[in-house]
Amino acid sequence: MSNQQTEKVVEQKVEKSPSGLSIFWKEVMRDKLALVSLVFLVLISLVVYGVSILLNQEEIVRVDPFAIYEPPSEEFILGSDQGGRDIFGQLIIGTRNSLSVGILVTLISGFVGIVFGVVSGYFGGHVDNVMMRIVDFFMVLPNIMIIIVFVTIVPKYSVLTFSLVMAAFLWMGIARLIRSRALQEKELDYVQASRTLGSSHTKIIFTQVLPNIMSLIVVTMTLNLAANIGIESGLSFLGFGFPQDTPSLGTLLSYATNPTTLEQRWWIWVPAAILILVLMLAVRNVGEALKRAADARQRRAS
Amino acid sequence: MALLKVDDLKIHFPIHGGILNRKIDEVKAVDGVSFEVREGETYGLVGESGSGKTTTGKAVMGLNNITDGDIYFEDSHLNAKKGKKIDVRNDIQMIFQDPYSSLNPRKRVIDIVAEPIRNYEKLSKDDEKKRVQELLERVGISSDSIMKYPHEFSGGQRQRIGVARAIALNPKLIIADEPVSALDVSVQAQVLNFLQDIQKEMDLTLFFIAHDLGVIKHMCDRIGIMYQGRLVEEGLTEEIFNNPQHIYTKRLVAAIPDVDPRNREKHREFRSQIKEEYQQSFYDYFNEEGLAFNLKQITDTHKVALPERG
Amino acid sequence: MWKFIVRRLIITLPQLLLMSLLVFFMASLMPGDAFTSQVDPSLSPEAIEEQRERLGLNDPWYQQYGRWISNVAEGDFGTSTAHYRPVTDLIWERMINTIWLSLLSVIFIYAIGIPLGIISGRWNDRLVDQIITGYTYLGFATPIFIFALVVLFFFGFTLGWFPTGGSVASGLEPGSFEYIMSKLHHLLLPALSIALIGVVGTVQYLRSEIIDTKQKDFIVTARAKGAPESRVYNRHIFRNSVLPIAAFFGYEITMLITGSVFVEQIFSYPGMGNLFIESILIRDFPVVTAVVLLFGLAAILGALLSDIILSIVDPRIRIK
Repeated sequence: MSNQQTEKVVEQKVEKSPSGLSIFWKEVMRDKLALVSLVFLVLISLVVYGVSILLNQEEIVRVDPFAIYEPPSEEFILGSDQGGRDIFGQLIIGTRNSLSVGILVTLISGFVGIVFGVVSGYFGGHVDNVMMRIVDFFMVLPNIMIIIVFVTIVPKYSVLTFSLVMAAFLWMGIARLIRSRALQEKELDYVQASRTLGSSHTKIIFTQVLPNIMSLIVVTMTLNLAANIGIESGLSFLGFGFPQDTPSLGTLLSYATNPTTLEQRWWIWVPAAILILVLMLAVRNVGEALKRAADARQRRAS
Repeated sequence: MALLKVDDLKIHFPIHGGILNRKIDEVKAVDGVSFEVREGETYGLVGESGSGKTTTGKAVMGLNNITDGDIYFEDSHLNAKKGKKIDVRNDIQMIFQDPYSSLNPRKRVIDIVAEPIRNYEKLSKDDEKKRVQELLERVGISSDSIMKYPHEFSGGQRQRIGVARAIALNPKLIIADEPVSALDVSVQAQVLNFLQDIQKEMDLTLFFIAHDLGVIKHMCDRIGIMYQGRLVEEGLTEEIFNNPQHIYTKRLVAAIPDVDPRNREKHREFRSQIKEEYQQSFYDYFNEEGLAFNLKQITDTHKVALPERG
Repeated sequence: MWKFIVRRLIITLPQLLLMSLLVFFMASLMPGDAFTSQVDPSLSPEAIEEQRERLGLNDPWYQQYGRWISNVAEGDFGTSTAHYRPVTDLIWERMINTIWLSLLSVIFIYAIGIPLGIISGRWNDRLVDQIITGYTYLGFATPIFIFALVVLFFFGFTLGWFPTGGSVASGLEPGSFEYIMSKLHHLLLPALSIALIGVVGTVQYLRSEIIDTKQKDFIVTARAKGAPESRVYNRHIFRNSVLPIAAFFGYEITMLITGSVFVEQIFSYPGMGNLFIESILIRDFPVVTAVVLLFGLAAILGALLSDIILSIVDPRIRIK
């Protein structure tokens, strides 16, 4: 009963103090590029996740020796590749796969980075010093190469292990950002006040510090998503991404390492290249809009 | 009876430097401070910025690491190294200086005020809400506003919310760290009077930290004057204001403007006289290292840090 | 400053140790034996066991690590399992190519980045700045391999201005003028691909730095004293903003490594990145281990170098 009451009051409240979502919405409406990007992302997600249910993946990846390198036609909207496989279908499934892995990697690396950063920043001192030296170390490594090595030597290779390997070497950026904000945040009186009110460190981190840097987390994760889509397609391009026979945007692009394909069979690699670019730009635009909304909210809240 | 007893408290902050980032020096923020706060009284700690008064307050709260010395509350040793730390948080609470940063901007009033209740008592949602509403009424905030955010209140109102949060657990001692210095002058008196009302009502002991002697005079029964991490004088309010002994205290007291315009000329003379004395004999009141001497009893209630003479 | 440099050097040692341990750990996970590559997988299990014992592969890991690292220190990376040649020889040829590529890329980055950044910062919010900002916006989001592919497709194939693979045309006398020109010709496209993407950070940094400096008090003072605009820029703003750029070289190494892996692959340029991909595809793990170790070493030393240069040009960083 009391819950219902609370909810009612919450509803009234929304008019008074705009929520983060409504500020974001305002920001998106003002910035047409972000609006277009958001619409595009929603549409493409609907299409790739929707259509890929209808598409039969086995059908698409089955080699058809009678339809090798078909240019775009009625049968193959975007032509076919060296195995006679439909490019359009691969594009749909590839986008879905790239997007999914991008999101998965962003979530895993984000989780690791947030925990690492918050602990380092909140406790400060020697803890912080040691933890940041570790971040520095990982930052400077030639991570792409190390990921590639792990990808080839990891046993039972699958999409999940691929994502884990990627995440293991991509958490440092967010850790650094979160750490510097947590460091600022913990100096604020309300965090100290929480200590005096008997809240434990864990509780303060979860109920005071994290919610207040949530906007930074969301913004950083969105921008990371854009970068991770790029890194994933890069790895797949080199042949160290998705397991073989799983279509991905990078795999389609990698067909272009064949000079004849690059020169004469544009339909195989150009759509994938454009899709990667547009996808990354769109995610980034939404991220930037989120960032501005977060800044606006920051100003309002104090 | 002493409710809070601080004994030879030292808080030194290390300065790191050198090749290995080792401790090369330290800042002695608090350097051997002892005092008692008695039950039911208001004890004021005065000093300029950097004198260590806030550091002392936060040390009592357990927010600073203590280098040396002891703090006792009632009979329990607050900074005992061995054994379990005694949790006296529901007996000691704090009001912060800045009502803007001490309330989390992303939380509703109900969550802010209920935080200590949630930590120490298990109440049902309904009871908790009732408790918060009562507390808000008590500090003069409408109980309808439990769903509001801090930024919807003025500075004075925010400080009242801070007080509501501090008294939620019925503490015995409240440490007020410059509770009005961030507020407009017009609101300061309001909040101060209201603090006194709450103190009477709830039978509270107040440990009041401020740099403004006027505020201190209005609020406190006994006063300690801090200068560069040491106490230079301590006594009843009348003693400090009517019979200051230490040169630093004299200067502070002389600096309070006189409200009576007829005394203006007299006051100015008095002030310049003190200033002269201050310039001449300032160093006599401190040892070779520039530290204040140990406090010496001059009456039952009055202690001053005077040099050993003869 | 010396304190900072010494402290920075002390931090580098554990970094190097950790990095070599990571590579060692990676190598020990690789199938076969990446360290000495003398265990022949086609032998019977008993024979392999005997060989392992003989080669000390059953020793505790720290003994193996010690042996490996002392070999590496002497420049001995074992023998390539695919080429039956010492890894050191194999890498040496490729390393020179990659060093040329990186060097040219860095030169391009400075040659393009500094003017663009200065123009963009000096005339900020004008049309020219908007164009440059638009370029950095796109460049920031474009993965290097897509850009390199498009560059290769366009300038290499469609227009045919540049060679599409290799590091030098065949049949030329090494050391001759034609030979050097051909090398440069082969280098140009890959280096430009890396530079045009890699330059984005430099441009953005310079732009915001100059815009920041413009509003600082000492610049306003200089203007108020009546110093001509060009003098304000040459004497005050550039000195403050451009010098730190000199230190970025070392930080760029990690980016150059990533770039070289992709770009060398796309342009079939015989460098270390190309060797790395080649070796990993044919499971030539001794080579892989050596390349990763060398690149890691380069990245760590590069960051060290940059920090030191930065501490010399920018006193603010020393106080920490």
